[in-house]
Amino acid sequence: MDPWVVTMMLSGSLFLAGVALAGFLWAIKSGQFDDEKKMMSQVHFDDEQELNDAAQQQKKREELKKKEYRPE
Amino acid sequence: MSNVTCDHCHLEFTDSVMIHDEQYRFCCKGCQGIFHLLKDEGLESFYTKMGDTHLSPPTQIFESSHNFDSSVFYDQFVSVDKEGLCEVSLVIEGIHCAACVWLNEKALHKMDGVIEASINYTNNKAKIVWDDSVVKLSSIIDMIRAVGYDAFVYDASLQEVRANKERKEYYLRMAVATAVTMNMMWVAIAQYGGYFTGMTQEIKTILNFAEWFLATPVLFYSGWIFYRGAYYGLKNKAITMDLLVVTGSTLAYVYSIYITVLEKGEAYFDSVAMIITFVLFGKFLEVLSRKNAADTLDAMSKHIPSVVSVVRGDEIVEMSVSEVKVGEVLRVRSGERAALDGEVTSGEGNFDESSLTGESNPVYKRPSDTIISGTTSIDAILFYRATKDFAHSTYSHLVQLLEGAMSKKPHIEQLANRLSQHFSSTILFLAIATFWGWYFWPHSFDRSLMVGISVIIIACPCALALATPVATLVGLALGAKRGIVFKRAAHIETMAKATMIVLDKTGTITQGRPIVVNVEFTDNDIDMKTLYSLVGASKHPVSRAVARYIQEHDETLSQISLEESKEIPARGVVARHNGVVVAGGNGQLMKEMGIDSTIVSDNTLFYYAVDGKLSATFELRDTPKAKAKESIEKLKTFGLRVVMLTGDHEKTAYAVANDVGIDEVHAHLTPQGKLEFIQEAHRDGHIVVMAGDGVNDLLALAGADIGIAMGSGSDIAIEVSDVIILNDSLISLHEALAISRRTYGLIKQNLGISLVYNSITIPLAMSGYVIPLLAAISMSFSSLLVVGNSMRVKWMYTTDSNTKMS
Repeated sequence: MDPWVVTMMLSGSLFLAGVALAGFLWAIKSGQFDDEKKMMSQVHFDDEQELNDAAQQQKKREELKKKEYRPE
Repeated sequence: MSNVTCDHCHLEFTDSVMIHDEQYRFCCKGCQGIFHLLKDEGLESFYTKMGDTHLSPPTQIFESSHNFDSSVFYDQFVSVDKEGLCEVSLVIEGIHCAACVWLNEKALHKMDGVIEASINYTNNKAKIVWDDSVVKLSSIIDMIRAVGYDAFVYDASLQEVRANKERKEYYLRMAVATAVTMNMMWVAIAQYGGYFTGMTQEIKTILNFAEWFLATPVLFYSGWIFYRGAYYGLKNKAITMDLLVVTGSTLAYVYSIYITVLEKGEAYFDSVAMIITFVLFGKFLEVLSRKNAADTLDAMSKHIPSVVSVVRGDEIVEMSVSEVKVGEVLRVRSGERAALDGEVTSGEGNFDESSLTGESNPVYKRPSDTIISGTTSIDAILFYRATKDFAHSTYSHLVQLLEGAMSKKPHIEQLANRLSQHFSSTILFLAIATFWGWYFWPHSFDRSLMVGISVIIIACPCALALATPVATLVGLALGAKRGIVFKRAAHIETMAKATMIVLDKTGTITQGRPIVVNVEFTDNDIDMKTLYSLVGASKHPVSRAVARYIQEHDETLSQISLEESKEIPARGVVARHNGVVVAGGNGQLMKEMGIDSTIVSDNTLFYYAVDGKLSATFELRDTPKAKAKESIEKLKTFGLRVVMLTGDHEKTAYAVANDVGIDEVHAHLTPQGKLEFIQEAHRDGHIVVMAGDGVNDLLALAGADIGIAMGSGSDIAIEVSDVIILNDSLISLHEALAISRRTYGLIKQNLGISLVYNSITIPLAMSGYVIPLLAAISMSFSSLLVVGNSMRVKWMYTTDSNTKMS
């Protein structure tokens, strides 16, 4: 086998593994595995409404920031 | 009649008692209210989410939430972040299912000003972040209550936060180490394949570079913990296991880079990754079970009310305990704890002092009686004048003593730690000696370096580092299955070394409450119904025991109402039934009523008289728990010195000791006396295990090498202890010792195995016979041996209990 092919395949697969690992680390850091019971059951309630709710919360937080930065 | 389910809580009731509301049915107003609220808020999908789960119908909460807005409360529990947002930690009560979590989060998210509400389903703790200028905490609490739950604030101490952070950090490091090592294996397989079948140097170099790339994060990110450990070890002039791990892996890493760049020989990157990963797992198991002394003290101070009611002029003001001065008058209501030492000025009632004195009977307090801080009022609403300020009160004093006892706790060094220090220094010395020996023999520099490094790698600390944690983990799991919780892995070893076991009497050896042991009827046609109703009117432990006894003998009995029923403190209960005076109580009461009662007994007596004539006598005693005698005999077969300590008087103490077969008894001990006894034993060289349950045992539990809390014990006792016996039985106490001894035996075997293993492989490595493959195999094999051997804790125990049963 050409050394070139080996290099390509190795770096390709290691890159993919790296992406997966990075995703996993992000999930740990953002606290998704902190509550094992919730993690398993909350999957059932995952729909559009939840997404809207999360967006709503985010908006609230940003609005608050805006309010604070406003010079009075 | 068919049953109908309530549309909110899903409990079943007959249709006639339900509230009819269009097509819906509710069991109570509370359920109905919540149902409509959820509908109005657009949260009715809660019901589809919750499925068939039953909720408990909401209890009406009369307590107002306005005190959540007091500044004293804010100072203590609410933290403000740099963006000006408030944060509080709550425990939500009433969470049954995932839908409950969903509902609470949604309901709070819908409120203006609530930025974040996340509820942990596992422990029901919630973190709420809100903007205080938009919404107040009291309205947040009101919302939780409105949807049918209740919330309590708790002080999320820094300790807890730090422990969680540390655990998370380990997760991250372990994730990296595991993922990389697993990928490294694939590359290593190619390497080994090439080693046997031949492979061009070019390919080999590519593989080496890939391994180099992979090993780097493992060594420097995941292995950072070991560098840190080694550094602090050296700073304290100690050669630790961390140092050995760090030297071995770093040397192997550097050497492998050298090989990779020069394109000759074999690289050891896979060994580097594997050592770090394995030892990291071992270390994590230790961290997982670490407990902090500061947490305990936090828990203890939580038992004292932080806000007290003080009489100022004509009104009652709420203020922080530390602001109260000597001489001020405070109010205590029933169910509340006294925060300061003082003297009763007005009002009277029963106080529960069991938490401090161990006295199981309530104590009646009248004006000019003293109040001890930390005791609870059972039914009294009274005012007392503070005679000491908060810092000098009994309870604060107890906390200080506890702090002292915990810091002075003798440190029993773990076998593995002691061993690893010698082991590490020996290996390092051997490796250096080997290198110089080879170099001067004479051999080339890199050949000598390689042999030197192979000594460190083959002496892989894996087996040694895993010997303790794996065996301990199996022991912990076995204990947990039998209702024994060891708070720290190291406690297993300390417990196995114990030479003396100290038991508290009340609640540990005995049931902790009186039980009727003998009854004598002097009147043959006694009306049990009247007696049952009479004792049912009182909450005194003796009356309760009598009531329980009657109920056990005739379950059909029901209470009837008696006239003029009243409880006479420290005497008994008196009432009137069909115009006849009925009385139940102690000898004192009978004497005062002119009834002859001259029975002599060691036990507590309860007399029952109808119309001035004695009709029944009950003898009560705090009896030992089931199988107490057998368990104590078994403890003795371990060669332990068994001692009983109690605050009770000698007569009762010896009676119980005789029953269960304990020869050494110390009675009349104060909480401090118990601690002194244990410290005395320490001076004699004993390793002491103390089992207790009450606050009066706290100091002793903290001061002993191992404190064991019985499951029914007070929360603080559980906090202070190192081991908890959930099912409260003495058999489990024996089992706890048996498990710890077996586990410790296996730890010793494991350490033996790894030492023997090393004594064979190290000479091989020193003489230069170790090829990379052999090193790798030997490493995994020694670890497997240790892990396999540890599994025998379980196996030994199951065969043992099987033979016992047959």
